Amino acid sequence: MAKNIVRGYYDESYPPLPTKRTKFWRRNLLWQFWRFIVLNLKIMRIVVGGHS
Amino acid sequence: MKYYRKLQLQLLINHISMAKVVVLGAGISGHTAAAFLKKKLGKKHDVVVVSPASYYQWIPSNIWVGVGKMTIDQVRFKLKPIYDRWKIDFRQAKATTIYPEGNAELTRPFVEIEYTDDDKRGQTDKIDYDYLVNATGPKLNFGATEGLGPGKFTESVCSYDHAAAAWESLKKCMDRMQKGEKLKFLIGTGHATATCQGAAFEYALNVAHQIRERGLSDKAEITWISNEYEIGDFGMGGAFVKRGGYITPTKVFSESIFAEYGIKWIKRAGVNKIENGVAHYETLDGELKSEAFDFAMLIPPFAGAGLKAFDKAGNDISGALFLPSGFMKVDADYSGKPFEDWDVEDWPSTYQSPAYKNIFATGIAFAPPHQISKPMKSPNGTLITPAPPRTGMPSGVIGKIVALNIVDQVKHGATDFKHKASMGKMGAACVVSAGYGMLKGNAATMTVYPIVPNWQKYPQWGRDISYTVGEAGLAGHWIKLFLHYMFIHKAKGYPFWWLLPE
Repeated sequence: MAKNIVRGYYDESYPPLPTKRTKFWRRNLLWQFWRFIVLNLKIMRIVVGGHS
Repeated sequence: MKYYRKLQLQLLINHISMAKVVVLGAGISGHTAAAFLKKKLGKKHDVVVVSPASYYQWIPSNIWVGVGKMTIDQVRFKLKPIYDRWKIDFRQAKATTIYPEGNAELTRPFVEIEYTDDDKRGQTDKIDYDYLVNATGPKLNFGATEGLGPGKFTESVCSYDHAAAAWESLKKCMDRMQKGEKLKFLIGTGHATATCQGAAFEYALNVAHQIRERGLSDKAEITWISNEYEIGDFGMGGAFVKRGGYITPTKVFSESIFAEYGIKWIKRAGVNKIENGVAHYETLDGELKSEAFDFAMLIPPFAGAGLKAFDKAGNDISGALFLPSGFMKVDADYSGKPFEDWDVEDWPSTYQSPAYKNIFATGIAFAPPHQISKPMKSPNGTLITPAPPRTGMPSGVIGKIVALNIVDQVKHGATDFKHKASMGKMGAACVVSAGYGMLKGNAATMTVYPIVPNWQKYPQWGRDISYTVGEAGLAGHWIKLFLHYMFIHKAKGYPFWWLLPE
């Protein structure tokens, strides 16, 4: 078995990955409740403006 | 055309005359159109819905059926009781032929149908109409790829029964992994021109989540396979979203999510044959490759429903109403100009047939004028590019505006269309579930405006960046769950359904 596990040189090695802090905020109920409101408003803006 | 002019004159002279509107299909678009038609037209006018299925299904939630998080009955309900309550004439049947000018027997325009319910299965009937809304949705064209589809070698989540079968198959894989086997999962598109990458993307993330929840990640190798030039293309040429202080392509956003969920990917791949446990594909470079799998869920390409049309003399005029793909021609530019020359104005806004003005096509049934993703061919001449998506939000919106325009004509004798909805001026929100649970769920939320890029108006990004968002989190899961219950409420016609947006 190879001594080192080289993480590079594969497509899946290059995208950005979330840090622990990012993962924490993704699950934080207060922050996510706020994002729920913001995202709904953004979606509504698109829906309302999408047809006449 | 003659009949349409006569109809308009009649409606202008006498608004109280009875009109009959026939809607073919009871999916998101057809059901929305039928609901608004009946609500606005009332008892004086007839609305008939023809659908081969007895159930309405909220297709976006099929993903959760496919991973055992929802039952079939949570995503579907019987259409007949709803239509009985609304006083809509429901025929469980498939439409086969349109006679837009009538024929020797019946002078009014009519559509021929074949019943699919147990009582009348196989019997045919004729339904005359003043207006026809073709919302037949797609034919899931599994036959385009040898070995593709349920009953053959791959699963699907395109309908609730397919999704339920996929879950049964996935459960067996979970059991095998729990016994120590290492398995390969292949999820993506099953043809070089398939679309609906969003659904496959969502399923891949949910499968990865379920495997991780069971502590089996080390036993599973999950691979995404797609005809997209870059991951995150989604058949709309990709998009740019505001994220973490950068304008980021959906390629980076999507690859980031795949990497986080431990999913590898194969892109620019046109799957052309499936055998037991092996998917064969051609790459844009022209290489012919294979990928082994123990479980595969691959989305088929879509085709039109296969309706035929005949004129009064009995001549086949299908070519005047439909493109060879089976999708219906509407008020779009089908001149086939080069990809670089197309314009956002080429996209339809009223969905009226140019051949017969009292026929409309909504949702997936209308023919898009061109690809949104740049067409790419391999050295062997194989087109490997996703078809344009028209599912979900656009389908509902188009169904509604077509209904409202017909109502204006019937009730007020309107000669032009007040309501318009072009995919070049319509946005879309894509909420990609990536886990389930009020506290443990996750979803990637993406919004774009407009769906079809407008490079003249937005030369840098093709779309309005102020409308875009791309983020992952629990809030997205709540939105997806909220939308599920909201749209089921709306589709069932529960109180204030009409206030809920499409």
